[in-house]
Amino acid sequence: MLKVAFKDLMARKRRLITTGIAVILGIAFLTGTQVLGGVLNDSIDGLFGDIYSGYDAVVRSPEVQETDFGEFRPPLEAAVVEQVRTAEGVRAAYGVVEAATVSLVGADGKVTGSGFGPPTLVYNWIDDPIRPGVLTEGRGPEAPDELALDFKTAADAELEVGDTAEIVGQDETREFELVGLVGFGDEGTDIPGAKPVYFVDEVAQELAGAPGQYNYVAAGAEEGVTQEELASAVADVVPDQQVITGEEWIEQNADQLAQFVGILTTVVTVFGVIALVVASFIIYNTFSIIVAQRTKETALLRAIGAGRRQVVVATLAEAALVGVIASLLGLVGGTLLATAIKALIGSTFTVTGGIAWPTGSTLLLAFGVGIVVTSLSAVIPSIRASRVPPVAAMTEVAVDHTDLSIQRKVWGSLFLVAGIVCSALGLTSAVGNELVFVGVGLLCIMLSVAVILGPLLAGPASRALAWPLTARGSMTARLASENAARNPRRTAATAAALTIGVTLVVVIAVLATSIKSSVVEEVDGALGEVDLIVSAGQFSFLGVPPVVSEEAGQIDGITEVSPVKFGFLRLLDEYGIQQAKQDAASDPPDEDAASAGAIFGVGDDAPLGEDAIANGYEPSNFFDLVDLGDVVGDPQASPGAAIAARDEIAEERGWEVGDTIPVYFSATGEQDLTLVATYSDGLGPDDDFYLSNETLSTNAPPGFDIDFAVYIATEDDPGVRAAAQAELEQLTADRPDVVVQDRREFVESQTAFIDVFVAVIYGLLALAVIIALIGIANTLSLSVLERTREFGLLRAVGMSKRQLRWTVRTEAAIVAVFGTLLGMVVGIAFAVALAYAITADDPGLLQLRLPVVQLVVIMVLAALAGIFAAILPARRAARLDVLQAIATE
Amino acid sequence: MSDPTGTGTTTQRAVAAGAIDARKDYGEGDSAVHALSGVSVSFERARFTAIMGPSGSGKSTLMHCLAGLDRLDSGRVFIGETYLDSLDDAKLTALRRDTIGFVFQAFNLIPTLTAGENITLPMDLAGRKPDREWVDQVVRTVGLADRLEHRPSELSGGQQQRVAVARALSGSPEIIFADEPTGNLDSRSGAEILEFMRAAVDELEQTIVMVTHDPTAAAWADRVVFLVDGQIVDEIADPTAEAVLDYMKHLGD
Ligand SMILES: Nc1ncnc2c1ncn2[C@@H]1O[C@H](COP(=O)(O)OP(=O)(O)OP(=O)(O)O)[C@@H](O)[C@H]1O
Ligand SMILES: [Mg+2]
Repeated sequence: MLKVAFKDLMARKRRLITTGIAVILGIAFLTGTQVLGGVLNDSIDGLFGDIYSGYDAVVRSPEVQETDFGEFRPPLEAAVVEQVRTAEGVRAAYGVVEAATVSLVGADGKVTGSGFGPPTLVYNWIDDPIRPGVLTEGRGPEAPDELALDFKTAADAELEVGDTAEIVGQDETREFELVGLVGFGDEGTDIPGAKPVYFVDEVAQELAGAPGQYNYVAAGAEEGVTQEELASAVADVVPDQQVITGEEWIEQNADQLAQFVGILTTVVTVFGVIALVVASFIIYNTFSIIVAQRTKETALLRAIGAGRRQVVVATLAEAALVGVIASLLGLVGGTLLATAIKALIGSTFTVTGGIAWPTGSTLLLAFGVGIVVTSLSAVIPSIRASRVPPVAAMTEVAVDHTDLSIQRKVWGSLFLVAGIVCSALGLTSAVGNELVFVGVGLLCIMLSVAVILGPLLAGPASRALAWPLTARGSMTARLASENAARNPRRTAATAAALTIGVTLVVVIAVLATSIKSSVVEEVDGALGEVDLIVSAGQFSFLGVPPVVSEEAGQIDGITEVSPVKFGFLRLLDEYGIQQAKQDAASDPPDEDAASAGAIFGVGDDAPLGEDAIANGYEPSNFFDLVDLGDVVGDPQASPGAAIAARDEIAEERGWEVGDTIPVYFSATGEQDLTLVATYSDGLGPDDDFYLSNETLSTNAPPGFDIDFAVYIATEDDPGVRAAAQAELEQLTADRPDVVVQDRREFVESQTAFIDVFVAVIYGLLALAVIIALIGIANTLSLSVLERTREFGLLRAVGMSKRQLRWTVRTEAAIVAVFGTLLGMVVGIAFAVALAYAITADDPGLLQLRLPVVQLVVIMVLAALAGIFAAILPARRAARLDVLQAIATE
Repeated sequence: MSDPTGTGTTTQRAVAAGAIDARKDYGEGDSAVHALSGVSVSFERARFTAIMGPSGSGKSTLMHCLAGLDRLDSGRVFIGETYLDSLDDAKLTALRRDTIGFVFQAFNLIPTLTAGENITLPMDLAGRKPDREWVDQVVRTVGLADRLEHRPSELSGGQQQRVAVARALSGSPEIIFADEPTGNLDSRSGAEILEFMRAAVDELEQTIVMVTHDPTAAAWADRVVFLVDGQIVDEIADPTAEAVLDYMKHLGD
């Protein structure tokens, strides 16, 4: 029996491949991300190991504040370095300046490293192996106007030793002479994941915004002294500071980046899973058709004595074999994918080229998932095969049943209900792990669409879709629509694969459009009287140079100048403490055993509270310039310790204007602020708190006392405004990363990130759509085979090859459009539900907008893609030998 | 009808189709089968001709070649004034659609189309408007007027064959080829079809060429041509079932 299955499989190698392709692509994605994730994690560990290889112990402040941008700790006084040097076992100890407060001007005159990519880090030059980096050329900086760079950054900026390098600091652009090049690893040939720039101590401290201070102290041990012994000895001489071992330091640094890589691989894995779900529909469909076509053969086997179990086993074995082969090919594809991505990002991250070999667990995953997905998808068809009665061998058989069994209706309805309940639970946040619930809900709804809704609709929908053509008497369209309608189950299952991809595309498109238009409206509305905005590159900590806020007021036509700072604080009010406790309870800090034993001296000792981001405001004019809705209170009150909050937030926390709010800043510790005002709408959706600029300045960590943006009002005359904009640009000419935008430009740039995000997701979803199209092609090829006689007859009575090709293509287009339509309906419904769920928490955050043009484009693309998918099956149909077709029994 | 010469009374009739020294082999060398080994035959307009012969004698092959479904190895076939041997696939397709009607032994209809749609299929494929009056007349004659909205699966075998004949007729082709059109039917249904074809020849001046194994069916024809081992061996004019049966018996010897 197995031999029969195997022979059958070999006789149809092509089908094997097309069926397998869906699985191959899914597996390739899945394993590719696994392999890549492993490679990246290794390289991150290796990277930090390289950079900090000289550190045996690190002394840092115990005061810490977690932010979206990492941990912040106040710097240490130079005196701490001297203290550390007195500890037993210390070979050398140095204060280290490490801050992301500068950028290098590249060969193109633009700032390098702004935007996405590794940050530029300021280091002080330490003349000791402790220093991160090995000198490969020249020497370290000795004078205030000298610097050293890593060789890769230097090469990218087209700089050589002896050249002049331009460094953009927070205040100005300065020129330095490049005196040395640095590399990493034992031989100095590795590239770091950051762009280090080395200066003499004073310059580094100045650029980092902390004159006379260091971010931490690094110590190297004498021979024979372990890291633990050293750390413990150092902790004794600096009892007020936190001391950790070098290993722990490397681990903590690597963890932060590893988290990012983890998120990245999770996202890509999700798309791999989506691809596999789509693939399972296709495998199910293919096997259903194969089983139907083999009815006679199966019946014959049963008639001569094969048992039902044998039939099931044979079919499943066939599926498993497809799974094995597809997994193998998928694994190869995944490895190639990872290798290609590695090569691609090798220039940005510290990844060396070469083949990204899969690990044992990746192998297991590939084969496990591949075989299980294919076999499971074939279970129902195999059971159907086993139900073929032996007498079927003797009688004429219908090719496929088209009725909807009771079972099907029951299951379909169950899936639908389960799907709606699951998504509702997820959307209303009634349960933890919302995303899983929404995902499972969506999957159940998709299944119900494939199982009952699709088959019910497939017939009428196919005819309706072809109506514009059939009404004009097109026989090819008529035949195509009837062909699509004759096997509603098959059409529905084929279309369902596409429906999944389209649903997700539509959800993303609708939400992105809605969010975008909401942001545009909100930002534009909130900008009030603001005419021009000066801001620095989004990912840099450089800020807008102070010269803007100082001198912009003197420019002709400018009436108001309102700089805005930016900072982090921890709220210590009762609500915040409660919140922090809850977070701690639900997500216990799993400090692994290593770190407990690796921290010496003082542990992290910031008070418990809720971390928040705050924008600054200029008390004299900010609230008049921008439109924050209903403002209650006096923003100009107690300017040195002022906080304003969104009124809903204030209410929730039980704050009244005039209350004292206890907060904590990493740089200055616990402080009391006064709630001076409340407002109803922030400038951005997350603007829950504003602190006066003065408050932020006094409490800013070093390097963070920056103007994040400067809002400017001008006279109401386009000419004057344009002139003012030009002058502002002049003013910031030596800061290539600073942009001066008018209102419209600013609003557009605020939504640019949405477009990028959406483009990335579309790219990933394209995979699911491509798999679905392969499915259409595959189903169609099988259907063409099945209809050999019919095509022969059509050709005999005068259908031309062209007409036949068009019939097949039109059928594909109908299936594709049908799947797309279903996807649109489900997608729009889901997007509406999601939008509702989002606005239930936070009304006004999002206004539902349907991107009509985009949706129409998706429809048209789907139809074209269907036609494209049908190219091969259509050609095959047209090539049929008429006579043979007629003779085919 | 379009045929000005087909008066039905003259003995010297115009030729609607024919083959000249048609040869066709299957396979090569010693194992080659001579399906047609030099057939010359002509079919007169507005006449009903039957082709008979033992199984494997080349009847279907001849018919397929005459109808432009297959090509000869050598020799020529023609429909009306047109020699088919030099036509490309597109022209052959158009010829089949516009000037030839088909009835096969089984599987004559597209299962997804209604009986009515199946009848007008060739004209719809050509993008031609069917001649409504004529189609209605054909439909009425075959007695399918109340079955036009039904799908083939909802019709009996005999009804399906009648639809096939109606399709062959509705486009007013120059010639109709029928390969064992009654082979799958009981004798009563078969008789209905034959009666109908006979009527088409007599009243509508159609030209019909039919392959059959059934002497009774052959008796409906104006002329029977006998094919043996790929060659025409004899023919009988105005046959009766008995005469055909006798001849067949004698062939078997
Ligand atoms: N495609 C083919 N390949 C090889 N040989 C063929 C093919 N088609 C027909 N033949 C052979 O050619 C010969 C004539 O076949 P044909 O189908 O014309 O016979 P027929 O007279 O129609 O027989 P029947 O009465 O059984 O239908 C037979 O010997 C047959 O085996
Ligand atoms: Mg035959």
